[in-house]
Amino acid sequence: MNRREFFKKAGITAAGGVALPYILPSGRLFAQTNTPKAEYVVLVMFAGGVRQQESILGRYLEDSQGVTGAAGNIMPNLFKGSIPTKKIVFGTDPGGNQTAGSEPIPRILSQSMEESGTVFKEVLAQSAGHYVGLNTLITGSSGTAQGLKVRPRYPTIFEYLRKHANFKATDCWFVCNTIGNSYPLLNSSNNKDYGLQYGGNMFAAPVTFGSYGREILGNAKPYSQADLEPMYFMKNFLDQSFGLSADQLTTIKNTDQERTQIKEFVRQIFQRQLAGQIVKPPVTDGGDAVNISYAAEVLRYFKPKFLTVNMASVDGCHSNFTGYLRSMHRADHATGWLWNYIENNIPEMAGKTIMIVAPECGRNLDSNPILDQNDWYAFDHSDANALRVWTVMKGKGVPTLSVGSETNRIGRLTDIVPTIADIFGIYNDVMNSGYIDPLAQSLYNRM
Amino acid sequence: MRNSYVSVLCIVAISGGIFSCTKEKKVTFGVVPEVIYEDKAKKTKRKTDAEYISILYTNLYQTPISPNQLYKTQNVIFSIGDHNVASELVLSNYFNTSGLKIPADADMRGNIDSFVVNTYKRFYLRYPSEGEKAFFNNYISRNANVTVEMVYTAFAASDEYNFY
Repeated sequence: MNRREFFKKAGITAAGGVALPYILPSGRLFAQTNTPKAEYVVLVMFAGGVRQQESILGRYLEDSQGVTGAAGNIMPNLFKGSIPTKKIVFGTDPGGNQTAGSEPIPRILSQSMEESGTVFKEVLAQSAGHYVGLNTLITGSSGTAQGLKVRPRYPTIFEYLRKHANFKATDCWFVCNTIGNSYPLLNSSNNKDYGLQYGGNMFAAPVTFGSYGREILGNAKPYSQADLEPMYFMKNFLDQSFGLSADQLTTIKNTDQERTQIKEFVRQIFQRQLAGQIVKPPVTDGGDAVNISYAAEVLRYFKPKFLTVNMASVDGCHSNFTGYLRSMHRADHATGWLWNYIENNIPEMAGKTIMIVAPECGRNLDSNPILDQNDWYAFDHSDANALRVWTVMKGKGVPTLSVGSETNRIGRLTDIVPTIADIFGIYNDVMNSGYIDPLAQSLYNRM
Repeated sequence: MRNSYVSVLCIVAISGGIFSCTKEKKVTFGVVPEVIYEDKAKKTKRKTDAEYISILYTNLYQTPISPNQLYKTQNVIFSIGDHNVASELVLSNYFNTSGLKIPADADMRGNIDSFVVNTYKRFYLRYPSEGEKAFFNNYISRNANVTVEMVYTAFAASDEYNFY
């Protein structure tokens, strides 16, 4: 090798040494395609089919049940507007001879999200159903032909973030309210370009941390790192020897260190339950609040870059309108509490987080014939009114804006994934993946 | 009378000739007795959660899991996104209970070679390759802190144990 060749090869080697550490799983050298807007995103999938009329439009019983003078806002943490003054049944029970639910839960936030963030007042949902609606929120695709009991057909936001932004598995969390309705499958698609190797972590909190979880997992041995290392070493040898291909993967993958972290988290949760230390909203008389509590625990422990949590109690509206109002009021309460908890109790995330709140679908214009204890009619979700929803954003750098109106629809639920991609600086990667709704775009572009 | 005795004797003699046992022919098919074990390369089907839990429980306790316990365990495993983490947690709970039918650490140390072969047969229903045997022999011999529980956890949480 002469002197010229030596310098040439040494130069190439040095350049490779600098570039290679930054090659991402996507094959890119650099992660971001645009400037990130925030460090953390929390997506609240709210809350099982919310009718536009009782939520953002603040019409309470006036519209749905024809009770004159009974309009008002029952979601004070999300939207501005006065609480109804007539026939209040959505609050807590004061006891005695007073009407059940007649005490509205006091607002947690000093200002509603509408007054301190951006609200898209009239947004188009792509489906009137829950699973496809959640798929839309998670994949940015319209979910056509999405079946139940199968993973999403198109890549999820978890996979986009892990592949293009190089997030770890424990940077991405889905806190799910049930193991039913195929919801636990939403943490990853089976897409050939993405799939389980890029999937997010998930807990169906009411099961993992409920009575079954306590019985099956609550007696786990607290292994030390010295115990775990040989186990992982031997397991990794066995796995490499078996050589599972990507299409044979049956679960998402965490590193050894992440698995240890998750197991320690589970162990700590059971301890915190015993000690009564689980963080929770002031009013936790429903399943949604419990799920939000565990979402807050995951945020506290892992400080994930992206977490999504769903709520679903509002879906009781199929047969009980009063219960629906109570659940909606509580979902608003839990959402406000979660934002407050992040800002006041997780210093690493405070001031660096954007929260996005959107329902997966709306509810019908006309009621079904089922009457509840107050002789109010219930509502299903299948018509054009069930495609009417809203989206709220609040947090780092989000302007105070009101976009669109009842007669001027702006935005689609498929915009959520591009918006999150935009916030994390991988907008072009995600939009060019070929799997996003062609009509979708970042909500920042619609402001 | 005498003739009839003769007739009866003749009939018995003839019948005996016709129906009496014949000498059994010894037929051999050239089949060598063989115990069948699985082949790693042919394990392409994933066990369902119910199959995985049932097989694991029976393996460790040498008794079937109750339907109620199976149902609860299935739900809990499904409720955790990383099923490996879920399995490891379930195992950790099993190892914190009494009634496990597993070898003692001293037995493992007494004959590591035999322990490794038996562990492969117990979990994978196959013999280890020479390379696999060598790996575990060396690893267990050189690391005094490795216990049966650790080895069993590694096998039970491994990818291959999820397939058949």
